[in-house]
Amino acid sequence: MQLLLQVCARVLLGVTCLAGFCRAQDFQVPAVASAGDEANISTAGSGKATFYLIGPGVSRKSEVNLGESIHLQAQDTRTAGDYLAIVCSSTCRSAGFYVSAAKPASLTFLVHPSRVPVAQSDAVSGVALAFDQFHNLILHSLTVNFQLTAGNASLLSRQVPTQNGAAWFRALSGKSAGLLQVTAAVDELSARRAVQQVASDPCNLRITGQRTKTGITVQSEPVRDCAGNPVPDGTIVTFTATDANGKSSVDAPIKRGIAQAQMLAFGAASISAASGVVMGNEVRVGAQ
Amino acid sequence: MHFSNSLAQLRLCSVAVLVLCLGASLNLHAADSAVQVQLDFKKASPRTVEELTERAILRDYRFAWTSIAQALEFNTLDPLEGPFAGDAKRWLKQSVVSQQQAGLNQKYVDQTHRVEAVFYAPEGDVMELHDTAEYQLQVSDGGKVVHDEHAVVHYVVLMTPAADRWVIRLLQAVPQF
Repeated sequence: MQLLLQVCARVLLGVTCLAGFCRAQDFQVPAVASAGDEANISTAGSGKATFYLIGPGVSRKSEVNLGESIHLQAQDTRTAGDYLAIVCSSTCRSAGFYVSAAKPASLTFLVHPSRVPVAQSDAVSGVALAFDQFHNLILHSLTVNFQLTAGNASLLSRQVPTQNGAAWFRALSGKSAGLLQVTAAVDELSARRAVQQVASDPCNLRITGQRTKTGITVQSEPVRDCAGNPVPDGTIVTFTATDANGKSSVDAPIKRGIAQAQMLAFGAASISAASGVVMGNEVRVGAQ
Repeated sequence: MHFSNSLAQLRLCSVAVLVLCLGASLNLHAADSAVQVQLDFKKASPRTVEELTERAILRDYRFAWTSIAQALEFNTLDPLEGPFAGDAKRWLKQSVVSQQQAGLNQKYVDQTHRVEAVFYAPEGDVMELHDTAEYQLQVSDGGKVVHDEHAVVHYVVLMTPAADRWVIRLLQAVPQF
């Protein structure tokens, strides 16, 4: 009911204005305004009035002379959004206007993850959002150029238009361990992020064993993933010895690409190795 | 007799204080429950919104608007501390400070928000919402209402996860979606 009354009041006011009867506090707000631009609100009539500007980040009140234009400074309209101008003398009149974002000035670029195993599908993703110099989101469509490069090799170059201010990609990680450069660019603006590509799980784990005076020394060949990248030092390789007395296991971290362990087994033993989900070969070492 | 009268007055005072406190707490609750939020996550992509996240967004978005209403009505910065971050927090604080300086306040009454999630980042670190908000907006100067309208405003909202909640980083009104 209240809403209906307000709508009726507005229609009546509109009809009255169309008929040329709203002279006292007529004013005109900017039809188009861009963030950080100066603007003017023209007023008609005569006498003193109070002017209010209500908008995102601004609530201003000032005395104005009707018939003169009201100057909005650049700092009044820095934030894009919905603004309300109110002029009060004997009664109050209001009008709203929008301030849109200015031209793109910065890119927010979120890239995940910071470390990624090689050759993983949909492993690297990024989101780019363009903002103007006042940090307003640019909502009209822009084309973002995403580029992924590892060394001198280009892994991906894709142009994606922003939708509702955001553009995104998802991509396969490269085949070689090392730094992956991820870039988003809109015209002259660009943002760069780095993703460290690391070896994936070990592949073809091979070991050798040798009888010593104190037991058995076992060591792996250089441990690599299926693409041939050395698995990072610190990755654990588990050696298991099975002899007449039962089973014993030793966890050994990879150092300089190789895992090595000393096992106590005096009789004939078979040694196996595993790292993660990968099983290595089995070796038999004779009795002392 | 005189003592029993004083006691009765003291009791009356205590009851009055209790009623006032209860009234204030009910008023706070009313302010919160007055914010109606309908959320639709069907269009969110490329990531599907998890059920727990849906509930968190609903809770935190409603709380954020309750906080905006309180901050701008009572010209206090405290309600803005939790639910906002970045540029949204900056301009909301500026609004409150400039209202304090000009002696103005804004009242958001009967808020209804029809919200649609339109973007949820692949790693879940940012969500974009489109909110068609309706409310009665009153602007007062020193207690005198200078503007009162039923407003329908379209907001583009960016929310990001923080330690224990989702926070609004961007709240930008647009003419239409």
